Amino acid sequence: MTAPHRPTVSWAKETERVEQRIVIESDGTIVARSGKVEYGQGIRTGFARIVAEELAVPPERVRVELGETDRVPWDMGTFGSLSTATDGSALRAASIFARHLLLSRASTMLGVPEAGLRLRDGVVRAEDGRTVTYAALVETDPLVGVVPAGLIALSASIVDAGPSRLEAVEIVTGRARYPADVRLPGMLRGHVLRAPRLGSRLAELDERDARAMPGVVAVVRDGNFVGVVAERGAQAVAAVEALHARWESAGEPSAEPFRSELRRDGGVDAALASAAHRLSAAYHVPHISHGSISPSAAVADVREAGADLYVATQRPFGLRDEVAALLGMLPERVHVHPQMMSGLFGRGNMVGAAADAARLSRAVKRPVLVQWTRAEEFAHSPQRPVLDAAIDGAVDANGVVAAWRYRVTTNPHAYGGAQGPPRIIEMTSGRNAEPPYRLGRVEITLSVVPAAIRTGAFRSLAAAPNVFAIESFLDELAHAAGRDPLAFRLGMIDDPRLRRVLETVAKRSAWGGRPRPAGRGIGIACAIYHGTYVAEVAEVSVAADGQVRLEKVWCAVDAGRLVHPDGARNQIEGGIQQAASWTLLEALSVRDGQVTAATWSDYPIATFLDAPRDIDVEFVGDPRTPSTGVGEPGSVPTAAAIANAVFAASGARVRTLPLTAAAVRAAQTTRP
Amino acid sequence: MRVRLNVNGEIREADVPAGTSLLDVLRDDCGLTGARFGCGHGICGACVVLVDGQPTPACVTGAETVGDRAIVTVEGLSKGGDLHPVQQAFVDEDAMQCGACTSGMVMAAVALLSRTPDPSEDDVRAALAPHLCRCGVYLRAVRAVRKAAR
Repeated sequence: MTAPHRPTVSWAKETERVEQRIVIESDGTIVARSGKVEYGQGIRTGFARIVAEELAVPPERVRVELGETDRVPWDMGTFGSLSTATDGSALRAASIFARHLLLSRASTMLGVPEAGLRLRDGVVRAEDGRTVTYAALVETDPLVGVVPAGLIALSASIVDAGPSRLEAVEIVTGRARYPADVRLPGMLRGHVLRAPRLGSRLAELDERDARAMPGVVAVVRDGNFVGVVAERGAQAVAAVEALHARWESAGEPSAEPFRSELRRDGGVDAALASAAHRLSAAYHVPHISHGSISPSAAVADVREAGADLYVATQRPFGLRDEVAALLGMLPERVHVHPQMMSGLFGRGNMVGAAADAARLSRAVKRPVLVQWTRAEEFAHSPQRPVLDAAIDGAVDANGVVAAWRYRVTTNPHAYGGAQGPPRIIEMTSGRNAEPPYRLGRVEITLSVVPAAIRTGAFRSLAAAPNVFAIESFLDELAHAAGRDPLAFRLGMIDDPRLRRVLETVAKRSAWGGRPRPAGRGIGIACAIYHGTYVAEVAEVSVAADGQVRLEKVWCAVDAGRLVHPDGARNQIEGGIQQAASWTLLEALSVRDGQVTAATWSDYPIATFLDAPRDIDVEFVGDPRTPSTGVGEPGSVPTAAAIANAVFAASGARVRTLPLTAAAVRAAQTTRP
Repeated sequence: MRVRLNVNGEIREADVPAGTSLLDVLRDDCGLTGARFGCGHGICGACVVLVDGQPTPACVTGAETVGDRAIVTVEGLSKGGDLHPVQQAFVDEDAMQCGACTSGMVMAAVALLSRTPDPSEDDVRAALAPHLCRCGVYLRAVRAVRKAAR
């Protein structure tokens, strides 16, 4: 009854074969294969370091192939901060098994026991000085076989030296190739007419003006899908603007709301009624945009025999299957080639530009590049769902929570909407709805309702919005009970790893030390996200007009064994910076089923001028515990840490994001 | 319309429709895709190149308005195999994640250091403020630019 949180779902694959993961080429290059993709989180480098560590070569000697659907093992998708935990572990196990095979073969070849052999820089060396290269050991007999279970890292040491990011030089020289940079012979440009709102149906289309525009090669219509193919990108965009379309509404989407009791202990009402301090509050988190710096783009080359897709996607195999269905081809004939990708943060789960390009390429029988505009990206991306949380809580005379009722309503956070299997909806739209504390009698109810606009996966799914509500309310309860927010939390935590990150961040930030000057304050929040423990302290200043400035953030993280410490640090810093932007600046306004933002002026995000003066990250994980993810966890507690700091600085309890000056002023006049 | 541009020290010519942006000419006619398309409104900074040393959003600059002014793109920074000190500093500080904003930031930093050889942190923040980064590498980028100055 007091289980603090659900166990992490296992995404592990059934059987791993070494030849699907690790190939040693004749020049000594080690090819490592994964169905995951790279969009700035650094997994190419991380995977290379794992393989390099186990096979005793420099990371530069490892070529990591990611998401190439013809060559890599099937994978569900790159999300949930799971790549290092799952595929990183699979690559490590495959590398350890490959090492065993190499040693065994070298032992036979050199006629010495394995114990007398050392691996270094792609060479096996015997004590008498004789050597054989890995390439020679596999020349006529490639490494094959089922990777035995239970192979994990042996060494407790972690190397933080070596190259930072394997793509770094390509990036700074401009040579890195993103989908919009792909140039194929005979390639044309496409652009698509978008339905004004969800469920709109194309009633009439007059394409004569568009056909007459310069550079236009074809206007393609297929039901509600209308696109233009032209010689140049700007011509395709202009021609789409010259289409005269009349859309009609197909009526409201009829999806039934999903409702689930995630936990019901019983006795909550009685416990609420009898406790010393009782509070109720409601929190609101708005729609926000992923805001990837590069709008969606894809190149498709569709021929009779098959199709090649040059894309940014988080689901290479899902994309392959969806485009194959669209084209009426077997999935094996669709070849997905992931390119460098602008940060996706969940945006890349929808097929989008790749499907546009495939339909247009099929029609004109030439390769087509589709590049969405910024306005399209704002209006037609799947957005982060709205989340509303109503919480009742009570603290008993001992200063611990005796009852907790959490009723949360949100929109679908994953594909399949509110119609998918209940377990999946609870895992996505209900993520982190259950706090990691002993809270006495607990009731948690999840409702998932469709939004007027398309919603989808956004960094950490429902975790960051839920943790904003939960950790803000814990702060409110602590203050109501006259308790220090840190001590209050520690008094209800059983998990030593969560305790440790809180204690570490408190120490780093001098929590409870000298009081801050007027208008300054610090706030604390924490979370466990897919096995990663994270605690943050934010320091803010609040001006007389209510304007909030984020001054500094301290963060302590336990992500188990780190593969690439500075890469992990970069991810945590970035998660905090992005979440600070959501928290202080961002909300998409929706009017009549349409997003109103079309440019960055309509939807400001944090800039160099908004960045705090420092983000201090300390990792406290034990290198002997399995690696967990760092892509999302940094972003999860940030909103609550900032909101709690704003309360400490100004007395304003803001329960609706973003934390604008107006919201702070309004909260100051209606103090709790 | 025929445009004649001085790009990275070379004269490049292209026949393009009137009103074509400098960014489209660079990316589609000159094969230089290092300047990235980000917003098309001159707001995000991903497409910034130097025009006579000035950071300029190429997406809202008409190609025919550039004349014979010298254009430098990110491809024009490294000489031979050596990275420009700003590029090297971005690598050393790992001041990037996805890299979509990096070209523009690097160009702005090069321009800043040419007029302010030893910028303060505030100078760097102000000079790079027109560059949006969604991954959140702002503090690393500031460190990289100040490192390149030394």
